[in-house]
Amino acid sequence: MSTEPENGSWVGKGLPRKEDGRLLRGRGKFIDDIKLHNMLYLKFVRSPYAHAKLLGVDISAAEAVPGVVCTLTGAEIAAQTQPFIEIGPDPFRQIKDYPLAVTKVVYQGEPVAAIVAASPHIADDAAELVQVEYEGLDAVVDAEEALTDKVLLHDVAGTNQVWRGVFEYGDIEKAFAEAAHVVHIDKMHFHRFSSTPLENNAVIGQWDPKDEQIYYWCNNSFPSFAIQFIAAHLGIRIDRIRVQTFDIGGSFGIKITTYPQMAVCALASKKAGGRPVKWIETRSEHNVSSAHGNERTFRDTRVALDKNGVITAIDSRHIDDCGAYPRYEPLGCVIWAQVFPGVYRFKNARIDFRQAVTNKCPVGPNRGYSRMQHLWFLERVIDICAHQLKIPADEMRLRNYIRPEEFPYVTPNGCVYDSGNYPKMMEVAKERIGWDAWKKKQAAARAEGKWIGIGFGTTLDSGTNNFGQSQIVNPYAPFSGNSQGANCKLDIYGEVVVAVGSCPQGQGHETTAAQVVADVLNIHPDMVTVRTGFDTERNVHTGASGTYASQFAVSGLSAVHGAAQKLKAEMRRLGAFLLTTTEDNLEFGVGQQGPEIRRKDNGESANYWRLANVVNVNSAVLPAELYELTLNCRYVWRAPFKVPDKDKKYGSLTLTYASQLHMAVVEVDRETFIPRILDYVAVDDCGKVINPPIVEGQVYGATAHGIGASLMESCVYDSVGNMLTSTFSDYTPITAVNMPRVKYAHIETPSPHSYSGAKGMGEGGAAPIHTISAALQDALFAEGVFIDDSFNNPDSLYRAIVKKEICQTAKLVKAEKGK
Amino acid sequence: MAIKFGGEFEVPRKPEEVYDFLTDPEKFGPLLPDFQGMTMQDDKHFTVKVNVGISYIKGTAEVKMELAQAERPQRAQYKGQGSVAGGNVSLVAGFDLAPTAAGTKVAWQGEAQIFGKLASVAGGLLEPLGKKNLQKLIGGLQAALQ
Repeated sequence: MSTEPENGSWVGKGLPRKEDGRLLRGRGKFIDDIKLHNMLYLKFVRSPYAHAKLLGVDISAAEAVPGVVCTLTGAEIAAQTQPFIEIGPDPFRQIKDYPLAVTKVVYQGEPVAAIVAASPHIADDAAELVQVEYEGLDAVVDAEEALTDKVLLHDVAGTNQVWRGVFEYGDIEKAFAEAAHVVHIDKMHFHRFSSTPLENNAVIGQWDPKDEQIYYWCNNSFPSFAIQFIAAHLGIRIDRIRVQTFDIGGSFGIKITTYPQMAVCALASKKAGGRPVKWIETRSEHNVSSAHGNERTFRDTRVALDKNGVITAIDSRHIDDCGAYPRYEPLGCVIWAQVFPGVYRFKNARIDFRQAVTNKCPVGPNRGYSRMQHLWFLERVIDICAHQLKIPADEMRLRNYIRPEEFPYVTPNGCVYDSGNYPKMMEVAKERIGWDAWKKKQAAARAEGKWIGIGFGTTLDSGTNNFGQSQIVNPYAPFSGNSQGANCKLDIYGEVVVAVGSCPQGQGHETTAAQVVADVLNIHPDMVTVRTGFDTERNVHTGASGTYASQFAVSGLSAVHGAAQKLKAEMRRLGAFLLTTTEDNLEFGVGQQGPEIRRKDNGESANYWRLANVVNVNSAVLPAELYELTLNCRYVWRAPFKVPDKDKKYGSLTLTYASQLHMAVVEVDRETFIPRILDYVAVDDCGKVINPPIVEGQVYGATAHGIGASLMESCVYDSVGNMLTSTFSDYTPITAVNMPRVKYAHIETPSPHSYSGAKGMGEGGAAPIHTISAALQDALFAEGVFIDDSFNNPDSLYRAIVKKEICQTAKLVKAEKGK
Repeated sequence: MAIKFGGEFEVPRKPEEVYDFLTDPEKFGPLLPDFQGMTMQDDKHFTVKVNVGISYIKGTAEVKMELAQAERPQRAQYKGQGSVAGGNVSLVAGFDLAPTAAGTKVAWQGEAQIFGKLASVAGGLLEPLGKKNLQKLIGGLQAALQ
């Protein structure tokens, strides 16, 4: 407790994380640490086929294995449950999504049976004895091909197209008619990759016959969403489901969609007489069948520019691949529109957006969900146009950026960017990387024949979303706005205890929530106990509670702040009674007997124990007018959203817009074609920083994720739907060894939408992917190569530079002079 | 993962003799590389067991085979489906026979599709391994028909 607040505030101070002592000493509580009496273990039998009819599942040999308690098949589950809810409209609302395949499998790794046994090893061995008869079907692994509907995944839908919508704003035709330049880009592609959390998905489910309640101990990162799906699927009331999360070893969004596995664990427990059933996902299962990020193809892009290189219009067709089942989709079909123009000022645009199912792992909201694909597209457009028009990439951005004085900025589709200063971020990035020196080094290196490029990526991390955008994809979706709950109380002995509806996975909620409460009550953060993890029975959550979409700093901490303020108001009323004074003669602080409330005039005080004692234990001294005081205050923070205009696809879709500007110097080796990062800067603006080391840590994490995705990590499928990168040997996730030294800097443009000025952060808009693509293009444009794919490894660069099979500017990009 | 294969060779036997050899599972089966055994269901259906192994992924593949086309003495085609090392394989292999002055020209072609863990974790090794094993099979056929 030796540290002091900064300028009188704990918010903004780089306090060590409260949770680190526990986590770094191996004392964290993760799902696999939990051992329950009579616990059983579940193993899934998974399909080797990406697309096949399921002719029969023979589980008799598995059931005969000593130690096997029960099994489940898809047919058995279908007979006692409803298919999962579909978020989208018809015809995909009609599809039958069960947690185990019933009549057909539609992706490799889809579960077809579950074995429940007394030990994980028995379950593993028995699972190998399950005989499944398949009739192979042609698979479709390309979204554009899927849209031809020659191979159908879900017959009842009659199409593979999950959703289609045209987002059109301004006057496109006029803008193109008046353009000085028009650039055409044939095709670009954002590849499929995922996240590799240290802890895989994990669930313990128990359907307890004693109280007919389902208990979950799990690491799902959006439990309030999951239980809505599970309750409807199992046909039980939602109040019969209790979910608890504890420490979670990373999620990055892809742990949102584990409700199918959670449902199976509950059903298995029911069949096993109420014994708890644990499922711990293996790494291979995670890679093949948990959730991947969305893959997207950008077709027939036309860009109109004026004579100065300012973009005036964009027209493009986007095709999103959501894998075999929509699950969290088609929300991704609108979520990208939160950042419709990116950081740029163009007003006229038409995006024809389609989404298709393919015989690949279903997608989930992977870090930067849906927006990073679109932001990458816009950054490619900027760089390709800059090269075509021979305008330096930095200058091109400066000419097109939304200007600082234009905030709050209303985008063509009605989103309101709260704050930002993109030119300032570029200035800081240039200073940190040593721009002038690198430009000289680059020129000298090029003279020696080296391929060195300098690239920028400017992105947005839109946080605290308006669920009303779901009504743009499905007008009947019953969601809108956003809310988060928190509870702040004085416990019976006067301890300050905070509970939040989030489920942190490394974001330091325990620390930042304590900082906020400490500021409100003028005490030290160590005097605040934060109950981390989600628990339905704490009754603080709302239907939007969880940890996702870069929002805790805004929604979570605003809820904590509101609850602390309510508590403070009650304490003040009580203090005035106990100290026989007026409320405005009271102040909060720490005295000799711990946290206290005291009179300003004479210093007489009541410590928290006394306050709590009077309300909870010694209440006969209270006057009747104070009976309403509980010192146990719940507050629900609600984002000030309206339901968007569904027809015009117009409205505020997100509350805060953190921004990132990354800059990289990359060299491509002329012999091996290995791209090597020579220098890297990450500049972040998340408004008021609550805890600088926590923010910096998340920037490093997001940067590593993006660099890995850009150069090393790709979910590769062959033509029949085998995933060829199902192990870390092939997926090659980035490690510390592959990381360049990242130079971090930040600027602060406070948000007017949060009480502290903070903006949600942590996703980073996948800035490294855009940045490295830009740097590679800068290095290779003179070779006739433009970067049309977000994934670039030595093999693809060799095919582009030497074989000239891909990325050929002359074939795929065309620039025309207009008026 | 799909592996396509094909080629031709000549043997100093009449087409009828070659055809009879190729369509007799009990003669043809043992020529499969790492053959472990076979069970006949009827004269057109049988199950073969072969050892399969790539690095640490080892196991026995049990492949249900069917003599799908039998046009004596021009053409024979086998279809098969089986499971191996956490995956499945389906294959089609055809033989077209044509008389030549010295005997019979055998044109062979086919495709194997491999699904599951084997393709996922060892996909890059499968094609060269498949070709090597095919060479063994064709070499065995040629030797048997000399």
